[in-house]
Amino acid sequence: MLYVPQEFISMYLPAIYAGLIIGFIGTMAIAMKREEIHILILTDIVGLAMIFVVSAVGTDLAEALILPGLVVELAETLAISEILITREMRKIEQDPRANLTKSSSMFPQAFSLDMEIMTTAPNFIALVLIAYGIFLTGFTGGAVAGGGIVLYAISKKARGLPVLMLDGIAGVSGIAWCIWIIGFLLFFVAPQYWLLSLFLAACGLLLKVASKVGLIGLLMREDIDKE
Amino acid sequence: MDFVTLGGNLLGTIPLGDIVLYLTPFNLFLFAVLLGFTALIAISKPETQVEASKFNTLGVAEVKVDEKEFKQRRFLSVICGIASAGAMITGDLFNFTLFMALVGILNIGIVSAVKQTSVLNSAFNYGLIAMMCSLPLFGGAAIILAATGTLSLAVLSQMPASPMVVFGAILMLIGILGESGVAPFFASKAEMFRTPGSPFIVIIHLSSLFIIVRAVEILLLVLW
Repeated sequence: MLYVPQEFISMYLPAIYAGLIIGFIGTMAIAMKREEIHILILTDIVGLAMIFVVSAVGTDLAEALILPGLVVELAETLAISEILITREMRKIEQDPRANLTKSSSMFPQAFSLDMEIMTTAPNFIALVLIAYGIFLTGFTGGAVAGGGIVLYAISKKARGLPVLMLDGIAGVSGIAWCIWIIGFLLFFVAPQYWLLSLFLAACGLLLKVASKVGLIGLLMREDIDKE
Repeated sequence: MDFVTLGGNLLGTIPLGDIVLYLTPFNLFLFAVLLGFTALIAISKPETQVEASKFNTLGVAEVKVDEKEFKQRRFLSVICGIASAGAMITGDLFNFTLFMALVGILNIGIVSAVKQTSVLNSAFNYGLIAMMCSLPLFGGAAIILAATGTLSLAVLSQMPASPMVVFGAILMLIGILGESGVAPFFASKAEMFRTPGSPFIVIIHLSSLFIIVRAVEILLLVLW
């Protein structure tokens, strides 16, 4: 038998309770909320509580189980968000005028800021943010680059220009997924190219997180329109 | 319970390192039936339906599935069939839960391109339930792993059930119910097949049926 410190063993039950309680709170929150994008995000919290319970086991076998669990969780989130997007597309298809009047707008409310810096600086800042995000790669880089994209969209909106890019961003997520999977596969098939596969996985994650910001923007606007 | 009592004579084992696949007539039969059905789906053409609500308008009321949607749906159905067949033959508790979650995702994928918004709505609701139920499903398997130290069904069937294992098995049962959309969660799943494209839609139904049968076997193995 392997030696396991007593502290680790005593941590198991609190960790399981924490996971189950988080899951319970998450499901309660889902029962109260009625907007679809909120439900989607709250469901992700319940999924993360699952990772919590699995990782509480704490052996190297559990470590091997966390990764498939996480992948399944992500795939489910993606599938559900694709369903939401398809549904909105069908709704627009059935009633094309609804699209012309309401959507393609990040801020349905009147939003005007007449400052010189709003017209000159944002493009540059957005570019710097995206470049820095690409340099960082991975989760953090994706968040930074996504922030840059959102900043660019907001600044365009503030100048009264049409913002059409958000629809395209949602499509990038599929490509990012493929890059990540290829990078992951290469790790096992050809371990000597670990640096290449690491970069593939990191770039996939970068695109993934950056495109998620676009996805949330797309759905947010529909929920606001509903009200 | 011993798997020989449940599934008949042991025809052999396939040891893949830690994971040991055991072949009994019961598992092999389920596996073969699912593979046969998947093969049927792979070669069949989509059927055209006539919508009943449009009979009185005298218009063309055929509901057809266009080429692109049909190909995507056939691909996902075949993958779904293979994943369910994998769940039938696997000898590892966690692999079973993973196959199950995969079947859930593919079920959503099969209806993801349909035109009816009501079907998409129920697919969305089913997806939410499937995601929430991944907590008890994977959590239960992890608790069984923590209580016994193994995930191999061949080893688990020889062990006496401790209270922790029973708790894990109950959690797993809740997860299986939600993930396959039976008992208290059926409303959204039943609405999901109300769409044309019959040979592919049926795999949604069939995969959950087969997985329930296999889940009963696994829970019996773990608990008795």
